Amino acid sequence: MTEERDLHPLEEKLLVYLEKNGGSSDTEIIEQSELPDEGSFRRASEWLLSRNLVAEVSRHEEEFVELGPLGIGNLEAGITPELAMMREVTAGAVSLQDIQKNTVFDRGRWGSAFGSLMKTGHIVKDAGGIHLTCASEDTVYQKIWDLVYEPLAGGGQMKMTQLPEDVALIVNDRSPKRGKTRAEFSVSVVVTRVLDITAEGRIALKAAKENITIGAITPQVLAEGTWRNAKFRRYQLDIPPSQIHTGRLHPYRQFLDTVRKRFMALGFTEMRGSLAENEFWNNDALFMPQFHPARDIHDVYFLDDGVQVPHPQPEQMERVAETHENGGSTGGRGWNYSFSRQQSLKTILRSQGTALSARTLASNPEIPGKYFGIARCFRYDQVDSTHLPDFFQVEGIVLGEHINLRHLLGLLKLFAVEIAGASDYKFLPGYFPFTEPSVEMHILHPVLGWVEGGGAGLFRPEVCRPLGIDVPVIAWGLGLDRMAMLAMGIEDIRDLITPDLSKLRGIIVQPDRLLTGKEIQDA
Amino acid sequence: MPKIEVSRQDLFAQACIDDPGDEKLADILSLVKGEIDASDGDLLKLELNDTNRPDLWCVEGVARAIRCWNSGAQQHLSELPEPDMDIFVDKNLEQVRPFVAAFTACGWAPDQRELDALIDVQEKLAASFGKNRKTAGAGFYRLDEIEFPVKYRAVSPETSFVPLGSEQEMTLSEILTETETGRTFAHLLQGKDLWPLLEDSEGRVLSFPPILNSQTTGRVRAGDSRLFCEVTGTDWETVQLTATILACNLQDRGAEILPIRINYPEPYLEKTVVTPVVFTDRLTASMESIHGVLGMDIPVESVQKALLRMDYASVELTQSGVTGTLPPYRRDGIQEVDLIEDIVISLGLSYFEPLLPEQFTLGKCAPIEDLADSVRILLAGAGCEEILRPVLTSRAKVKDATRTPGDPVSIANPMTAEYGVVRNTLLPGLLEVESTSAHAAYPHRIFETGEVLTVGEDGYCRTEILLASLICGNKADFGDVHSIIGSLCHSRGIALSLTDADDDRFIPGRCAAITINDRVSGVIGELHPAVLDNWGISSPASAFEIELSALKG
Repeated sequence: MTEERDLHPLEEKLLVYLEKNGGSSDTEIIEQSELPDEGSFRRASEWLLSRNLVAEVSRHEEEFVELGPLGIGNLEAGITPELAMMREVTAGAVSLQDIQKNTVFDRGRWGSAFGSLMKTGHIVKDAGGIHLTCASEDTVYQKIWDLVYEPLAGGGQMKMTQLPEDVALIVNDRSPKRGKTRAEFSVSVVVTRVLDITAEGRIALKAAKENITIGAITPQVLAEGTWRNAKFRRYQLDIPPSQIHTGRLHPYRQFLDTVRKRFMALGFTEMRGSLAENEFWNNDALFMPQFHPARDIHDVYFLDDGVQVPHPQPEQMERVAETHENGGSTGGRGWNYSFSRQQSLKTILRSQGTALSARTLASNPEIPGKYFGIARCFRYDQVDSTHLPDFFQVEGIVLGEHINLRHLLGLLKLFAVEIAGASDYKFLPGYFPFTEPSVEMHILHPVLGWVEGGGAGLFRPEVCRPLGIDVPVIAWGLGLDRMAMLAMGIEDIRDLITPDLSKLRGIIVQPDRLLTGKEIQDA
Repeated sequence: MPKIEVSRQDLFAQACIDDPGDEKLADILSLVKGEIDASDGDLLKLELNDTNRPDLWCVEGVARAIRCWNSGAQQHLSELPEPDMDIFVDKNLEQVRPFVAAFTACGWAPDQRELDALIDVQEKLAASFGKNRKTAGAGFYRLDEIEFPVKYRAVSPETSFVPLGSEQEMTLSEILTETETGRTFAHLLQGKDLWPLLEDSEGRVLSFPPILNSQTTGRVRAGDSRLFCEVTGTDWETVQLTATILACNLQDRGAEILPIRINYPEPYLEKTVVTPVVFTDRLTASMESIHGVLGMDIPVESVQKALLRMDYASVELTQSGVTGTLPPYRRDGIQEVDLIEDIVISLGLSYFEPLLPEQFTLGKCAPIEDLADSVRILLAGAGCEEILRPVLTSRAKVKDATRTPGDPVSIANPMTAEYGVVRNTLLPGLLEVESTSAHAAYPHRIFETGEVLTVGEDGYCRTEILLASLICGNKADFGDVHSIIGSLCHSRGIALSLTDADDDRFIPGRCAAITINDRVSGVIGELHPAVLDNWGISSPASAFEIELSALKG
């Protein structure tokens, strides 16, 4: 058993009072003890009762009735609607409509009185209208007036036990727990209990009195050294703490940071690029023919005419144009169409991260070299639970004299295991206009089964040679949004970029598990 | 990506295999770069990823790839006899719809399901490969109703015939306005004075290509075993290849294919062409290249066998390597790597053992990202929560609501105005967070580092990384954000100086330009109540925004 904690100062004050005065009621203690207020008494007595240092000697609950808002209204009218209705009937009224002409009570109250009287059988209705079944003086409603209204005319309350059973029944019925503003009566329960100190309480109090205990450590306590002969009051440690909102990095950014760190750890250099690109770098340099469907106006965002990004070198443009038209120096036959330099210079929003790789190839990369970049890309999609206006892709290249298909597979395997944390993976032939051979990787997700883990391939000579690269180049790319959703247990992609702070604060982040994916069924 | 629907039973019957079940089928489909999209009873929905292989966008093509891989290459359209049928092309079609290719297929009588599948393939090719019937569209007819030679003519829109699905004659212009198909494809003939028409030597109309066939000759029924097939369009390559693919499909089904001579007038092709064209595109690769790309030595015989399993028409061994002739339905070979990929697909990727690149390379962070990381950590340490917002936003948010001085770059073809511009500032994003987070416990201290697009004085647009932070709450004032930027600069050893500035976003007299190293790099201030009001924000807010690179020091 753990050691019993020390008495809190409030507890000590209550025990001191009870030791001196013996069994006392709540009211006596609140009024006479040294406890500062009722709240302190409540807390201290709860703690002490739970630790058995104080016992409840007796407990008495009693119901009291007082007039509610409607009751007070009746008192002012000098009569209840039921009695008034019986009086009207005696005076010759034959229908509810007749009675409702009297405006002492509103129509609604007349209506409910009528209902009550019908229910208790004091009036009946037949072809000749409504009649009394007995004199109003003999009804329970008269008794209510005499026994409840009259005694409470000056305010205050009375014990329910004083009332005969039939009266108490109706009074209880008309004192709802809710909607008290429309109640005729209000019944409340008053608990009277007597508390006394227990034998254990006396022992605990004695122990407390014999020790100097220290609560908060103050600079004074430290300066005077009083702590040397004192005991530290033990705290109750399992009270829920108050919450603070810590500053923190965005969950998705943390995910992206983890991806970046892992690529850098594998020896990759980070690339950066531009949100706006010309078609040259986004498509043409990647040997995507200008008639390719993915270059359509319905697939790419074009920027306003006049908004330009710096043009490629004229010789770059010529080499790429020639490659498209007839293969140029690549050993191939090209796409066999007339290449438009004007279209090549059009400014668009980057639609694929591979644009970064094309630019890197064209700017004297290290050979051997490994590059990666996380790029925001834009595709022409309606925003919904699976599409964002812009999305993150990680892209990269590996260049080297003897790079080949097996290295491509080795690298993909490394990504699957080291970056995505997949337990299994498989390779399938893929198709991308800029790579040949092309490979798609699928990885086994613990919950969702096989999911796409990115595309890759060896850049075609039509991509490399015009940009001045003569060694083989592995290229790969992977959308990150979906992977992040899996890792964070998010089902609506828009939540990745939510503007709602409370939602954002609710996303649980575990950077060490970000890429392996949280078990969704646990969430 | 083309998607097709096929019958399982039909697919496996033609592929000559037993139903392998979906899981195995998924592996088999890697031969055609295909995936199972859905599988429901006999219906299989497949997605074909190779946009350069229209021959695979049909059950015949997928089945052929599987069949040939299992039992070797097959001869297609070999030993076609000399044509004894002709089509004459009108020279006035040059500016309308110049090209036609055609053949006949006899001896195979499709049942209703097979006929439907045939029409599906024809539609799929015309839609995806033929750019919605523009560059190529195909039609089938009952051969016995047609007297050769057939004429492909350019005629007046007032020419009339009884179109498929109708009982009475209609003029071509009526067909374009009064039939659904006509309305769908009317744009193909917009601005043309003469329209295309196919008719036989007796003057019977076959069709108004690529819109509608005729009710008499152009209505093929289940059980018809003698078919005439034509493809017309604006792109000669596409027209020819479409006809060749359809001919191979029909031959696979058991039909005998007979060629037709197309007589083109001067000036546009100046010659006759026999269709279907039996293409023999050749790709050559040296063993050195093959080994280089594959990363392993493979015997030349294995290379040959692998390519024949990919249905190459022939594979010759040369002194230095191999020369493969692609089957007639394929024109996607551009150079040797394309042949090498076929070897890879044939052998299967599991044939190749993964290997790590051996050469050492250094991992390096982009310098600006290094800076961003350091700043982000300092801000989180200052109790700020990081925000991530989209790059696309609206002019209304940037200009009207936030009153940003500079103009964002507009998208010429926006999908919606809500995402009609590229952000040039991060502040609207942070204000939007405030406008949706009044219920979240205060105080709100938020920040974002992110890319924006700005246009420089040289007229070029460039991507910059900005840092913005905003504090909102009962007592949020200038001093709060000043402390943040102040301690940020202090941590990075940078001297910060503020000078009074005018900016509609902020309260006059409580707004300053941030100057670092004698360069104005940002702005700081208490947000103007009018701006807060525009965003529906009911607590005071202060913010700063600065170019991240200024914090390099």
